[in-house]
Formats: sequence, structure tokens, C-alpha cells
Amino acid sequence: MMKYENVLTTCPYCGAGCNFYLQVLDGELIGMLPCKSHVVSQGKLCIKGWNAHEFVYSKDRLTKPLIKRDGAFVAISWGEALDIIVTKFKEYVKKYGPDSIGVLSSAKCTNEENYLMMKFTRGVLGTNNVDHCARLCHASTVVGLVASFGSGAMTNSIGELENSDCILVTGSNTTEQHPLVVRYIMRAKEKVSKLIVVDPRAIPLTRFADFHLRQRPGTDVAWINGFMNVIINEGLEDRKFIEERTEGFEEMAKTVRKYTPGYVENVTGIPKEDLIEAARTYAKADRASIVYSMGITQHTTGVNNVRSCANLAMLTGNVGKPSTGVNPLRGQVNVQGACDLGALPNVYCGYQSVTDEKIREKFEKAWKTKLSAKLGLTVVEMINEAYDGNIKMMYIMGENPMLSDPDINHVREGLKNLEFLVVQDIFLTETAQIADIVLPAASFAEKEGTFTATDRRVQMVRKAIEPIGESRPDWQIICDLSRRMGSREFEYSSPADVMDEIASLTPIYRGIVYERIKETGLQWPCPSRDHPGTPFLHKGSFSKGKGNFAALEFKESAELPDEVYPLILTTGRIMFHFHTGTMTRRTEILNREVPTGYVEINPIDAEKIDVAEGEPVLVQSRRGEINIKALITERVPEGVIFIPFHFAECAANVLTNPALDPVAKIPELKVAAVRIRTRPLSPNKD
Amino acid sequence: MEEVRSLAKSWLESRKVDAILGLREKNGHIAPHLFTETNELESLTILSHIGEINSKYFSSNRSQRYKKNVLFLLEQNYPNAKIGIVARGCDERALIELAKRDQLNLEKIEILGVACTKEEAMNCRCPKPYPTKLDVGKRVEKNSSDMNVEALLKKSLPERFSFWKYELSKCIKCYGCRNVCPLCFCEDCEMEQDLWVKVGQLPSEIPTFHFIRWYHIADRCIECGECEKACPVDIPLLTIFKLLRTDIKELFDYEAGLDVKQEAPLLTTLDETPLKE
Repeated sequence: MMKYENVLTTCPYCGAGCNFYLQVLDGELIGMLPCKSHVVSQGKLCIKGWNAHEFVYSKDRLTKPLIKRDGAFVAISWGEALDIIVTKFKEYVKKYGPDSIGVLSSAKCTNEENYLMMKFTRGVLGTNNVDHCARLCHASTVVGLVASFGSGAMTNSIGELENSDCILVTGSNTTEQHPLVVRYIMRAKEKVSKLIVVDPRAIPLTRFADFHLRQRPGTDVAWINGFMNVIINEGLEDRKFIEERTEGFEEMAKTVRKYTPGYVENVTGIPKEDLIEAARTYAKADRASIVYSMGITQHTTGVNNVRSCANLAMLTGNVGKPSTGVNPLRGQVNVQGACDLGALPNVYCGYQSVTDEKIREKFEKAWKTKLSAKLGLTVVEMINEAYDGNIKMMYIMGENPMLSDPDINHVREGLKNLEFLVVQDIFLTETAQIADIVLPAASFAEKEGTFTATDRRVQMVRKAIEPIGESRPDWQIICDLSRRMGSREFEYSSPADVMDEIASLTPIYRGIVYERIKETGLQWPCPSRDHPGTPFLHKGSFSKGKGNFAALEFKESAELPDEVYPLILTTGRIMFHFHTGTMTRRTEILNREVPTGYVEINPIDAEKIDVAEGEPVLVQSRRGEINIKALITERVPEGVIFIPFHFAECAANVLTNPALDPVAKIPELKVAAVRIRTRPLSPNKD
Repeated sequence: MEEVRSLAKSWLESRKVDAILGLREKNGHIAPHLFTETNELESLTILSHIGEINSKYFSSNRSQRYKKNVLFLLEQNYPNAKIGIVARGCDERALIELAKRDQLNLEKIEILGVACTKEEAMNCRCPKPYPTKLDVGKRVEKNSSDMNVEALLKKSLPERFSFWKYELSKCIKCYGCRNVCPLCFCEDCEMEQDLWVKVGQLPSEIPTFHFIRWYHIADRCIECGECEKACPVDIPLLTIFKLLRTDIKELFDYEAGLDVKQEAPLLTTLDETPLKE
């Protein structure tokens, strides 16, 4: 019987949450079509989205559970694999206590799977040691925006950008990382909007910007204080908003007094005239939006950077209205959801604290088990504890710390020091390669669930085809493991069941049920079944009541260039690849565009180092070194080099600094001191 | 709408066709679907919510290396099946042009032709908003002129040059214009070749990246405008293709998508001998 249909689903790449159709002919994926009626993608996609179906049938897909015997993987049955894992879990809980186990959940998995993973970790294993890669990208956003506004998410919706009068983009190469978000920035620009880009690098957006301010990497608090200094001096602040809706203005104003344009020029390198003009432009706009990403968050001062953005928006009354706000763009398709669902060591789903006794009791009652009140470990801390021998076993779902985390050599040593490592993924990633057991998971095309996009939009992921080989959806694997651990609290007939339980325990998701997620998805907070969802936050009052200004002094990055390591390394992503490349490097056209990594070097530095375009160089930091080819370009300013972190063979994160923000525990991936050596091709040591 | 459904029903019931390829409304969105049972037909629709026709829905793009339309794939799997297809004017033109280029077999399909309304035709800036084989709806006349084309032609050459330079500089190299195009089916796409276009570069190389495609499908373009609708940064691609089609008409007296027997000018050599694709 011939069957051809199109299954609407959500793109598995960035947090923009584009939708498209998977074309299925007789049970086989034959392609994809964009969805014209989708609220964000509107029938358009980026190159990654257009090819998002290709890796599904990659010959590298994991199709059977694997166990490492004598250094090589051999296939075993699901029953055997799960039983061995259960035995190990029980052994370590008994011998060393539940906190000897660490779990990484995944921003690539659905809300339901993240909920189940954190429920399993807390309710079955008995530890709060669960975290995921949000730690590496927007941990400072979650902490910083909660402190300022009371909610740690993007305040407005993607489409609203189109009607902004001024868009300030900082630390976000939006064109390459969120291509369908840049659509709305470009549309705004083509109407009336002013565009201010503050970024050390020349990014595709700077060609269209009214201002491109190139700060020295790591000096964001300084230039934002400078903006506020200008605005207050010229009386451009929104007095009414400040008085009615905020606290802490006076102290903040006192702090920024010394950040005069001249002072800021000395610290950041931004010419004072440009700073003044840009600050005026932002302040005078009727509706101004701030868009930021990891250039703001991935610093030891990440939380302060985020709070500075919040300060600037509150100072000018640009919160709580359409087409304004503070808009962090989340990198992974479901990194917002993984945070929302409590795959974090300090909160249950809906950001409910594990140390709050009342909340803990609620979850103990719902899950019929005792829960730990002790805060769990974050991503980098887990690796450190593994290195020190305190974490004995890890269970990693859909994450690749061997490429994504700072100081990879240290990560490798940490993971190798584990007594037992379980990795659950769709491919044999760099991390899976060092696992003891690997479980094959189903891809987005093979399962049902929901993803939450960067603008808090909960959308459907729909099953188009049967799982490849013996692979299974992550939610089924977690439930199976839980049952084998002896729990009776993981009996779900479908992901919709799981969402019903989520809604019952999570105030911001209370009104979310599958039947309601239709044309446009549902944006949280959605507190009841008849609530239409919330396109922009903080209307009338902040989630926490009054918004809090923070008085913040500029602090230098943890590691500054010196005579031995004279250059600043900053890392990031490019249009044609995604994160650790697990999916994009298995996609033909993306590999054709960019087959491997490179280091961007300014022509002046290139001349000093004596390196020509395309030549191999050795980049060294205090933590390691990589061989990589040079790309001579003015995209980077003198003294700064840039390396995309997607490529295992020249992994930027061998070099990066694992120094953490003291509050958010996010590593300083954007600033490290490095040097460059020209060398012959062979990767021998100095 | 009801007319389309009842016609589709009678075609299925009389076994005139084994299945009908059309649009289906589900989850509040509209997508292609192969209707094999008459009881499914209540979800058959010809309109999309946002007033845009979801045309060319028989394209598929497993990868550029294997970009075959759905009708071709159906014929491969079911060589004896006859497929009905609900087609607007642009769909019919695409089917004709694909058949001309050996990408599908018109004998295996039966067109259920639907005319577009005046509003739809205006939205799409359509040159011929009805299929030659018309089963449902009334012909509305084509738009005699196009505002965007006229506005462009009023500009001086240097102005037009900077207009296109700006528009193309927005390109984010998604290849959406190519992917969505029903007539872009080459296995080795020249847009990907390092020989012509520097790979991995943003913005894509101006103007080579775009010019290659424009020239390559100059005599194939059926003016459906899907490329423009797929562009994330609103490059006015339909405008350039309207101009290209006018040129092809003037130079070769040829119009793509009208007649399956009409030889495409860029497929013939100078001495008029047909070339094999």
C-alpha cells in the first residue's frame, strides 16, 4: 500500500526552533520541506536546517548496544547492557553513596527526556549530580537574569525583533548561529531600525550595522557601564520606569560614574566618540532590543555581563514591552527546555530549588521517594571530581564533553579516571569512544516529544520513521533503566503522559498539554489550561516584583595575554557546522563548505609571526597545543585570534581556560592567552 | 474546495487514479499528502492559512545528489500506479518542464487542475494563474505588469547594480532557492563547485554564486516564485527571474512550462540538434 506523507517537526539544531516537514515515502525518509505557516521559519531555513535529515541515515549511526572488551567495542543485547549498568549503579550507590555518580542530560533531547533523566538521577539514584551543556553556554544567563528580573529566559519573542527601532547585538554572531533570527534583525534594519554591533570580530552583521564597536575581549562590563554613564549624564534614562519598576538605581549610577567614555576607551579600546553616539542611539529608541549570546556569557564575569545587559535595558525602560528586552539566544534546540525541566544540579523542573524544603516535599510526594537536599555538581565540577577520584561513574546522554568542554586534555583524564562510563548517543562521539558501555539512541526523526525554543516556545517533535537498527528513544531507555533499578514511577505509555506529569509539577508549564501545542506552539509561562502563553515577559511588573539594578565594577578576565602568551584566543561557531560536529560533519554539503578547522589571524599579527594564508601553525596555551591552518583576515582585530570549536582534529578547547564564573560556574571559553608557532606539518612537541 | 474533494473522490472511486497527491491540513499546518482512501479526503485542502499556495510540493531533496521529485519516486516504487495530482498553474508548468527533462512521466499522472483566485494570483505575482487543463475554478487573467520589475527598470544601470549588490550581500548561503526549486535537480550542482565559487565563505561569493543558478535555470524557470519565498533574507529573486524569462522569450521565443514538446533552447546546440541532459 503506497504511503507518502509529511510529518511536521522541529529542527534539531539551534534554539530558533524552526519547523519543517520530514517527507516520508513508505516508511523511508526521502527529504524535507520547509513550513510556510510556521511562526519563526516562515518557509525558510538555514543550510543546517535544510540538511537536518541527512545524518539520520548516516552509516555511522549506532544500531546496537556496545560494550568495551579488551579495548574494543563488541555488540551486546539491550537486556545485557542495561543489567550491567544497573549492577554498576547499585554497586557505586552502595559502596560510595549516590553522590559518587554524575549524570549529564542533553540539550539535544526532548523536554520529556530531560525531565525523566533528572527524575531518574534524583529519584532513583538519589543525587542532584545532574547537569548539561547549558552550563557551558548560558548558565550565566539563567543566574543573571533571575537576579535582575526574576526569570532567566529570553524576555521577548524572535519575531518581535522585526519591529524594534534599535537592536544592540553583542557577543552573538547571529547570522551564523541563529540564521532565522537574523532574518528579523535584517527586516528591522530594512525598515527603520538602527543596528549596533558590539563584538571584537567583524561578523556578517557588521556589514549592515550603523555602529560596530570592537571591544577588547572580556571588557563587557566596562563598555556597558560606559553606555549607562553617557545615558545618565545626558538625562536619557527612563525616570518613570526606574522609579516605578526597579530598585538599586542610585548605587548603580554611583558605580558607573567613573566609566566615562575616555576611561572606557582606555579599558575596552572602543573610541569614545563611537561609544557616546551608540549609547545615545540605543537610549533614544522607542523600542530597543538587546540580543546577546555566548560572547557575553562565557566569561568568568559572565553573570556580571548578563546583569549589565539587564541594567542597560531597565535604565532605558526597554523591558516588558513588545520588540524590546534582553534576548539571550540559546544555542541548542532544547537547551531552554533542558533548563526548564531541571537538568540542573540546583533546581527541579520550573526552576524550583532542591534546597527549599516545601518544594522538595512536593517532589518526594509525587515521586514517592526520599530526595537529597544537597546541591549537585556542575559539568566542569563533575569532571574535576572524576579527576580527583570522587565521582566513580558517569551516565552521559547526548553530550560530547570531549569536544565541548574547556581544557580537553583535563576532561579526557577525568573521564578516563572513572571506574565506569555509560554514554547514550546516536553516534560514537569522541566521548562515547572512551565509554565502557554505549547505548544507541533514536534521532529526532524517530521519536515524539517537545522542544522549547529560545523564546520559551514549546513545540512538537514528531516521529517520522521507525528507530534505526536497534536504537531506542532516550525516554524509553531511561524508563527501562528505572524499572530495572526497581522503581515503579516510570510507567508511561507515551511522551504525552510524561508531559502531563511535568505540567502537574511545574507552574510555568502547568497549562501545557500536547493537544494545545498547535500552530504556534505555547510560550511559557503558561500557568493554566486556558492561558494563551506569554510572548513577552515582565509586562506591568517583573517576575520578581521589582527589577534589580546591579552595581558592577569591571574585572579583567582570568588569563590575560603576557610576554609568553601574547595573543587572546576567542572561540565560537560557524554557519556550516554545529557544536561538536557530530551531526554536521556527517552531512555532505556542510563538509564540502568547511571540511576542517582554521585559526583566524589578523594580517599584522600574521606578519609578526611570519605565517601565510593556509599554512599550518601550532597554537599553544598553558593547557595544550593544536595544529591548525592559518586564515589571515581582518575579521579579527590585532592581538586576537579566533578558532571555531567544532573540529576534533584541531579542537579549540584543548587550549581554552577552565576558570569559572564564581556563581554560574560557566567556564571562560571566550578569553585565553595563547601563542602561535609556525612549524612544519608534523605535530611534534616543542 | 468541495468541488476538488468530490472530483478527487470520484477519481479514486472509479479507479481513474490509484492515489491523489494534494495538500492536507493537519495540526493547523498544510503539507503535501498522498490520499489513497476516500475517507481521508475531508482533510484535503487547496488553501494554506496564510493565503499562500504551497506549490511545487512534489519536490523532494534527500540530498542534492539524489534530488528526485515525489512522482518519480512513486513511479519507481509503483510502476503500474496512476497518480492524480491537484495542480495550480505553476504546478502544471513545473510538471511539464520536469517531463521535458526526463524527471517524470506524464503518462503516469493525471492532473486535477485548479485555477487560482485573483487574490492568490496577486500574492504570487503570477504570470498565468491557471493550469491549461482546468477542472475546478475560473480563469482569472494574468497580471499584465509587475510593480517590482517596473520599479527596478526605472532605476539607472549603476543604481540597479548597487541594488543587486546590496541584495546579494545579504545572502546567508542556505541554498534554499536551489533546494526549493522544482527545476533544480542536477546531481553535481555548480553552485557547490570550488571551481566557480569559493566554498565556506559568507556572504557567498558575489555575484558568481547566484549568477550560476540564474543562468543555469534561465530556460527552466516557471516563475513560481518559490525561491523568493524560501529566502530567509528576502532577496527579490522572483524579480530577476521575471526579467530572465522575458529575455528568454525575446531571444528564443521560448517559455518554460507551456508545452512538453517545445524544445528548451539551452538544451539545443547551435545547429539545433538536441543535446542529451
